[in-house]
Amino acid sequence: MASDLRTKQRASIGLKICIYVVSILLAVLSIFPFWVMFCNCTRSTNEIQEHAVSFLPSVYLMDNFKVYEGKDFNPFVGFVNSMIISVFSTGLAVYFSSLTAYALTAYEWKLRKPFFSFIMAVMMIPGQVTLIGFYQMVYKLGFTNNLLMLILPSIAAPMMVFFMRQYLQGALSMEIVQSARIDGAGEFRIFNQIVLPIMKPAIATQAIFTFVSSWNRLFEPLVLLTSKDKYTMPVMVSLLKGDIYKTEYGAVYLGLSMTVLPLIIIYLSLSRYIVSGVALGGVKG
Amino acid sequence: MAIKSNGGRVVRNRKLVNYSKYGYIFSIPFVVAFLIFSLYPVIYTTVIGFTDLKGLGVTTFKFQEDPFTNFKTIISNATFKIALKNTVIIWIGNFIPQIGIALLLTAWYTDNRTKIKGKGVFKVLFYLPNIITSATIAILFSTLFGYPMGPMNDVLMTLGFIKEPFYFMNNKKIAQGLVMFIQFWMWYGYTMVTLISGVIGIDPAIFEAAEIDGASRTQTFFFITIPCIRTIMLFTLVTSMIGGLNMFDIPKLLVNASGPDNSTLTTSVFIYNQAFSGSYMYARAAAASMMMFVVIVILSCVIFYILRDKDEEQLAKLRKADRKAERKAMAGGM
Amino acid sequence: MKKLIAGVLCVCMLSALVIGCEKTEESTTATAATTADAGDDTTESEEGGSTETGIINLWSFTDEVPNMVDKYIELNPEFGERYEIVSTVISTTDNAYEPALDAALAGGGADAPDLYCAEAAFVIKYCSGDASSYAATYESLGIDIDAAIEEAGIAQYSIEVGSNADGEVVGLGYQATGGAFIYRRSIATDTFGTDEPDSIASEVGPGWDKFFEAAATLKDAGYAIVSGDGDIWHAIENSSEDGWIVDGALVIDPLREEFLDYSLMLKENGYSNDTQDWTEAWYGDMAGTADTQVFGFFGPAWLINYVIADHCGGTAAGEGTYGDWAVCNSPIGFFWGGTWLIPAAGTDVPEGVAEILTWITLDCSETGLQYMWANGVDAAAKDSVASATVMAMSDGTLDFLAGQNMFDVFVPANEFANGSNLTQYDGTINGYWRDQVRQYSAGEKTRDEAIAGFKQMVADNLDVVVE
Repeated sequence: MASDLRTKQRASIGLKICIYVVSILLAVLSIFPFWVMFCNCTRSTNEIQEHAVSFLPSVYLMDNFKVYEGKDFNPFVGFVNSMIISVFSTGLAVYFSSLTAYALTAYEWKLRKPFFSFIMAVMMIPGQVTLIGFYQMVYKLGFTNNLLMLILPSIAAPMMVFFMRQYLQGALSMEIVQSARIDGAGEFRIFNQIVLPIMKPAIATQAIFTFVSSWNRLFEPLVLLTSKDKYTMPVMVSLLKGDIYKTEYGAVYLGLSMTVLPLIIIYLSLSRYIVSGVALGGVKG
Repeated sequence: MAIKSNGGRVVRNRKLVNYSKYGYIFSIPFVVAFLIFSLYPVIYTTVIGFTDLKGLGVTTFKFQEDPFTNFKTIISNATFKIALKNTVIIWIGNFIPQIGIALLLTAWYTDNRTKIKGKGVFKVLFYLPNIITSATIAILFSTLFGYPMGPMNDVLMTLGFIKEPFYFMNNKKIAQGLVMFIQFWMWYGYTMVTLISGVIGIDPAIFEAAEIDGASRTQTFFFITIPCIRTIMLFTLVTSMIGGLNMFDIPKLLVNASGPDNSTLTTSVFIYNQAFSGSYMYARAAAASMMMFVVIVILSCVIFYILRDKDEEQLAKLRKADRKAERKAMAGGM
Repeated sequence: MKKLIAGVLCVCMLSALVIGCEKTEESTTATAATTADAGDDTTESEEGGSTETGIINLWSFTDEVPNMVDKYIELNPEFGERYEIVSTVISTTDNAYEPALDAALAGGGADAPDLYCAEAAFVIKYCSGDASSYAATYESLGIDIDAAIEEAGIAQYSIEVGSNADGEVVGLGYQATGGAFIYRRSIATDTFGTDEPDSIASEVGPGWDKFFEAAATLKDAGYAIVSGDGDIWHAIENSSEDGWIVDGALVIDPLREEFLDYSLMLKENGYSNDTQDWTEAWYGDMAGTADTQVFGFFGPAWLINYVIADHCGGTAAGEGTYGDWAVCNSPIGFFWGGTWLIPAAGTDVPEGVAEILTWITLDCSETGLQYMWANGVDAAAKDSVASATVMAMSDGTLDFLAGQNMFDVFVPANEFANGSNLTQYDGTINGYWRDQVRQYSAGEKTRDEAIAGFKQMVADNLDVVVE
């Protein structure tokens, strides 16, 4: 018995070592590009063009900031715009996707299966060619240069609906809903007060993903927004790139770092939902 | 409110019908948004796959006599075949390690028995690569492997592995491998986080029961954790497949054009090239998109089938049989 | 009644405020005008009391041209009063500029571009290719184009590139990007005994045979003649008879096909450092940091002032390779890069557009943009400009070139450039071609395989007939 315990302990120590080694390796691998990027924003353009990857910072941070003044680049405006778009997109997407997913799991209705298949189908279309149709539509409607055009489409987020539905299938049991109905709650209230809290981990996860992808989106804002005071951060950074012989790489990396920094901060603050076990709390007691 | 057989069922049926309208109501926002913002482009794409639309700023097009002309052209297009092959190879090479490591990490990090210090920190770090844009990563990696000067070359030469700098980006296998690696690296954290969020949703009581019953870690993982997150696994598999088959950013940005001798050309990049690399052959691009779409749908159906909930299926069958019997009884009885 | 009076008074008050603001603005600009150059007068007399006003929608991919327009308004404030400039700048990274511009042009309406820029990489499409219907000829804007060109001595290639299918000018540039050979003085002295541009020009050319003889000589002395095969590609590409497409079919001009052989020669004989342009190693060769020093680069004036100067490792003589450079005639004439300005057909502000265009691309007086560029006014780096007339009356000496006047070389260079063998697919086709050549010179493919691979890629991706 004792030797059994010891072998178990040895095995578990071996496992632990293995886990730590792998984790540390992966962690280093995950961090290094960020480190390089932050280093690069302190180096001058010439240094970067000659040695693109460096692990040691340099002294040109303020010079890179000065490039901004010359180029009429206002990171604050970009930040605010990006924030507006990303926050609203994420909020809308998360709420309506949860709603739609709930509709797909909790209710029995005739078009349920076809509707779900339809959502899946939409998810599967490769995106590049629909771009043309999208531009044409936006230009015809005259809605260019409008932040709303970047926010509203996110109400329909098929991938998120898919995820929420899968999650609900595993995590939601109809007993709660039934008991709430017996208690006299309306459907909408049930959704808001009971189902949403159950979905917290899923919501947190998807919120982060959507926020990141919305924040980093370059192509649509680049094409749709034409006035400087509506530019988002990625768009502003891309403008720094300009012609290949005039690109100020130091400033570009500074811009990229500034673009990424808010994401990291938001991610770190939301990540406790993923890290700590946010238990369901709905089913038990 | 006791539910008796015949009388109770009728009452319950009425109640179900009442609620089902909420299914429709709650789906309305999604449908409306979709119709407004996505429908036009999607229909547009589908339709022009059957026409001969090409050229810049052209808005008139005629339908091909043989509606499948474009599709035939694409299938016989040698470059498309290469693209398809590459897409599959790169996807498999990226997906298998990704899911493998993600599952492994999920197993390690959700195991209540093994205490890992800094679990939280690690989880947070692994997701970080997903935050940077593909464009930045592409630039970083392509300069990392630069030739004849580049950090990778420097390191390898200092360590004595190679004598002369090696032209990484010109070598087909290595270029493909790099794309695979970058995709893996960008997304393994995301997959892990998704899986973990599914595991968190499992009732801890089940795990406690398993531990009491003396299940080992591996047994717990394979027989409890995985089946319970089957729904999430389905999501991960399907979305990884879709993402993988539609891979665009990294292949396009890592190397110029389509990689050394087309080796990193994926179908999405091919479609993009058909539409935007000079000849604006939108019709062909749309046709190719449709074909990829069909491929993806078929593969998704396969995955859905494999991962279907067999118990639920049997239950559904039983219920159907029940209802049939009922109806027969009622019709026969009356 | 009371409310009505109150309302009217409010309106009066508000309009008074607004007009008052305008008046103060006017007075400040008026004082600025008196201190500005007297160049205003010429433009005013040309307009002769024009009353056109409006919004000029300017589309560009860098802020170069919008800054130029701002400068023009600074010098001619009354222009700024008549027109409001709305600039849309979308960079060409990720190929975002063209689709947006195309959509805007196709969309039409009040927000459509009135004036747009096109880079050499895609200018043909907008001048004589698929998008040329959106362009207006300079003539139609009221510019006496032939006389202006004559007076300014605009380089022939620039006119060819900027002409539409009917031979009329729809686009012109402000830079001249005719290419020359830019070499290191110290290496020249060491190998050839002299660093005089004329002598070096006859060592490396004319013609590629001479060039490779010089390469061998340099190799013996321990130097590489160029950094990579990309450096000679632009010269080869531009000097061929035919472009890539003739009558809708793919054509591989024999001169371009020779690139396969030259690329192999460069690599096998060690005449180059096998770099790729726009990478670290290429920049490194400008500073002379590689083990084997590189003799020279092929390029236009902007390569000197914006690329080599930035990467030479220093900002004054003695630092890095600063001051160790000179320019001589290239073995083969060519041009590389440049921006063309194109007016839009059906623009509602033709006079305003014409004024700007003239000032930027045709004005060869001392107040024209080109003069400022050529002489580095406002601390901009000096650049060779489209007008030979301007260059003739400008000072192109650069410390960077140890006092050589670069215009001596670039004016004739602009004349040698060929503007007639471009197609709108060049960007894409060049990409495929250079990729296959790289495979060949790296030994991965045979010559025939490379050519076959190239043809396959063109056939599969473009709407071009390939035998």
